Amino acid sequence: MNILIKSATIIDHNSKFNGETVDILIENKRINKIAKSIENTQNYPVVALENLHVSTGWFDSSVSFGEPGYEERETLANGLKTAALSGFTAVAVNANTNPVIDSKADINYLKQQAKNQPVTLLPVGALTKESKGTDLAEMFDMHNAGAVAFYDYQKPIANPNLFKIALQYADTFGGLVCDFSQESKIAGSGMMHEHIASTHLGLKGIPALAESLQIARNLHILEYTGGKLHIPTISSAESVALIRAAKQKGMDVTCSVAIHNLLLTDDLLKDFNTNYKLLPPLRTQTDLDALIEGLNDGTIDMVCTDHNPIDIEHKNVEFDHAMFGSIGLESAFGALNRIYSTEQTVKLLTAGKLRFGFNHNTINEGESADLSFFNPDKSYTFTEKKILSTSKNTCFLNETLIGEAYGIYANGYLLIKQS
Amino acid sequence: MSALSVNHLLGIKYLTSDDIDLIFETADQFKEVINRPIKKVPSLRDITVANLFFENSTRTKLSFELAEKRLSADIINFSAAQSSVKKGETLIDTVNNILSMKVDMVVMRHPNPGACVFLSKHISATIINAGDGAHEHPTQALLDSYSIKEKLGTVNGKKVVIVGDILHSRVALSNIYALQKQGAEVMVCGPKTLLPKYISSLGVQVETNLLKALNWCDVANMLRVQNERMEVNYFPSTREYAQQYGVSREILNKLDKEIVIMHPGPINRGVEITSDVADSQHSIILNQVENGVAVRMAVIYLLASKIKH
Repeated sequence: MNILIKSATIIDHNSKFNGETVDILIENKRINKIAKSIENTQNYPVVALENLHVSTGWFDSSVSFGEPGYEERETLANGLKTAALSGFTAVAVNANTNPVIDSKADINYLKQQAKNQPVTLLPVGALTKESKGTDLAEMFDMHNAGAVAFYDYQKPIANPNLFKIALQYADTFGGLVCDFSQESKIAGSGMMHEHIASTHLGLKGIPALAESLQIARNLHILEYTGGKLHIPTISSAESVALIRAAKQKGMDVTCSVAIHNLLLTDDLLKDFNTNYKLLPPLRTQTDLDALIEGLNDGTIDMVCTDHNPIDIEHKNVEFDHAMFGSIGLESAFGALNRIYSTEQTVKLLTAGKLRFGFNHNTINEGESADLSFFNPDKSYTFTEKKILSTSKNTCFLNETLIGEAYGIYANGYLLIKQS
Repeated sequence: MSALSVNHLLGIKYLTSDDIDLIFETADQFKEVINRPIKKVPSLRDITVANLFFENSTRTKLSFELAEKRLSADIINFSAAQSSVKKGETLIDTVNNILSMKVDMVVMRHPNPGACVFLSKHISATIINAGDGAHEHPTQALLDSYSIKEKLGTVNGKKVVIVGDILHSRVALSNIYALQKQGAEVMVCGPKTLLPKYISSLGVQVETNLLKALNWCDVANMLRVQNERMEVNYFPSTREYAQQYGVSREILNKLDKEIVIMHPGPINRGVEITSDVADSQHSIILNQVENGVAVRMAVIYLLASKIKH
C-alpha cells in the first residue's frame, strides 16, 4: 500500500529529519521522499492526524496471546490488531499456549497465522518440552523455522544442569536462551512482593531474593558455558546490580523490564485488587529507582509490556486463586511517556530489536517503511471502554496516561485507530 | 457515638478506635444479658444471618451461632465440604445463591486472605469476617482486647506480647491493629522462622527470647502453631519449640511480676502452654471464650442496625 503522511513530526535520532515536521511519501513499502510539503499527485491514501508524530516501529519482547488453546483470553488476530493500534510493529510472542509452542510445526503454525498482517510476529519457542523443565525442546529445528528465542514463559528452570546444557546447546547455532528469574522454593506459593504491604495483607510474599538468587545462578552458569542469555522482566534492585556486574565482565547477557514494574509499587495491592497481581510482582520505590537507573545506564537493554491477557473468570476471584498478569500493549506508550520524554520513550520502545532478530530501520529516504504513529501530548484516563484486547485485566485501569498511539505502517499495511 | 463507621467488619484495620469503644460498650450490655436466666433478646427478629464456613472451625462457629441465637436472628449454616464449591462454583455465585434466599448478613470464614474484602465488592449483604487466611480475624482480636480490658481495667498503656506462629496467624495481625488502636504497646515473640521479615514495620517490637518478652509484658497472648498452613517445617520438632516458646510454671516463676496469659484456642497443651499455666489464675482463656459471645453479639447487633430494610 502506498501512502502519503502529512505534517508528521519525526522522532528518530538516527534520522536527519529528527524533530522536523514533514510530509513522508511511502511507495512500495519504502520511504521514497521526505520533504516540507509533498503533493499527492498519485491520489494515495493520506495519513493526516492531530499532532501526528512518527517514529520507527515499536518492538515488544514479551507478549502472550491465547492462541492456540486459550482463545477466550486473546486470539492471534485480535492480539496482533491490538498491538498494531498500540503502535507496535513487531512482537515476540511467548510459548505459553496450549499446546505449548515447542516444535517446528508449532512455530510454523504461528507464522502461518500471522502471515499478511501489519505486525510481525516473532515466535518464541519453549526451552523445554511442554515447558515442563525436564527435557530440552528441539531448539535447533525451531530456530531454523524462525524462533527468535527460547523461553518457558514464567516457569523457571529449576535444574541448574539442564540450564547449563541449554546454554551450551543453543550456543552451537547462536540461539538466545531465556529463563524466568524466580527461585521456585524461595518464592514458594507467594502472591505478591514480600515487604510491608504483604505483611499488612497477610498475603504470602515473594522476596526479591527469589529473583536475584536465580539470576546469580544463571549468570554463574553463563560465565562457565558462554552463549547468549536474555533475562526477561527483572524487577528488583539486586537484579540490576548483578546484571550490571555481569556486563562489566563482558558476558553476553541482556535483560528487560516490564513497564508496570517501572511505574507501580506494591502498596497498590492494599484492597486485594487482582489487576495488580503480577509476576514478577510489583515491588517498592527503591526497586523502581534502581530499575530506572539501570535503564538509564544501559544495564537494562529494553522495556517490554509483558502483555498477558487473562479472562475475567481467572481474575475476578479470590486473590490467591487469581492468575498473575496484566495486559500492557495499549497502555505502554502513554505510561512510559508519562515518566520519560517522548524522545526517550520512543528510544525505549524501539530498543532490543536486533537481539530478537528484527532489523532496525531509520526514517530516511530509501529505507524500508516500518513506522509507528502517535500523539505524545494527549492526556486521558485509561478506562475499560477504551480497551481493545479481549481480556480487560490491566494494572493501569483508570490511570491517567499521557500520549496515545494512532497505529502503524508496516509490511506494506496501514492500520490506524478509528476515532 | 451510636453507630459504627463501617457497614461490614472486614478487619480491625478498617475500624476507628471509637468503633472499638462502641463495640465494647455494647458488649458490656450483652454480657449482662447472657448471664441472665433468660439469655435472649428479641433485637434481631427481622434479620437472617448466613454462617459460611469455607474452612474448618469449631469455637468461632459455635460462638457466632450462639451470639446470633441470643439476638433472635434466623440462621442458616453452610460449610464448604457440603457445598457446590467442590464442584467448581465460584465464591460470588455460591454467596449470591444464598443471598437470593433473602439473607441480610453473612459471617464468613475463608482460607484466602482478602476473601471478605473481595466479597464485599460484589454482594449487597453485610459481611462479618470470621477469619480470612493469614489476613484478619477481627472478632477474635476484639474479644481479646475486651478480655484484657475486663481483667486490667484498660488496654491503653498496657504491654502485650503475642507469642508463637506470627507468620501464619490472622489473630496476630488483627490483635496488633486492635491493641495499637487502643494505645497498647505490642511485641511479637517467636522463632525467626515464624516471624514475618517486615513485621516491625507494623510498629511492633520483635523479640526471639521468651523470657525477655515475658519480663517486658503485662499480657502474653499465646498462639497456636499452625502446622496445617506450613509448606515446610519451620522448626525441627514440637519438643524443641516447646523448650523455647512454651509457657510453663517454671518460666513464670522466674518473672518478678504477675502476668496475664491468654490463648485464642484451641490449645496444644504441653506445646505453647503447659496445663498448670492454662488452668491457673494467670489464665483468662475461658473468659475469652465467654466474652467472645458478648462481643460477637455486639458486632452483629451494631452492623444489623445499619441495614436498611
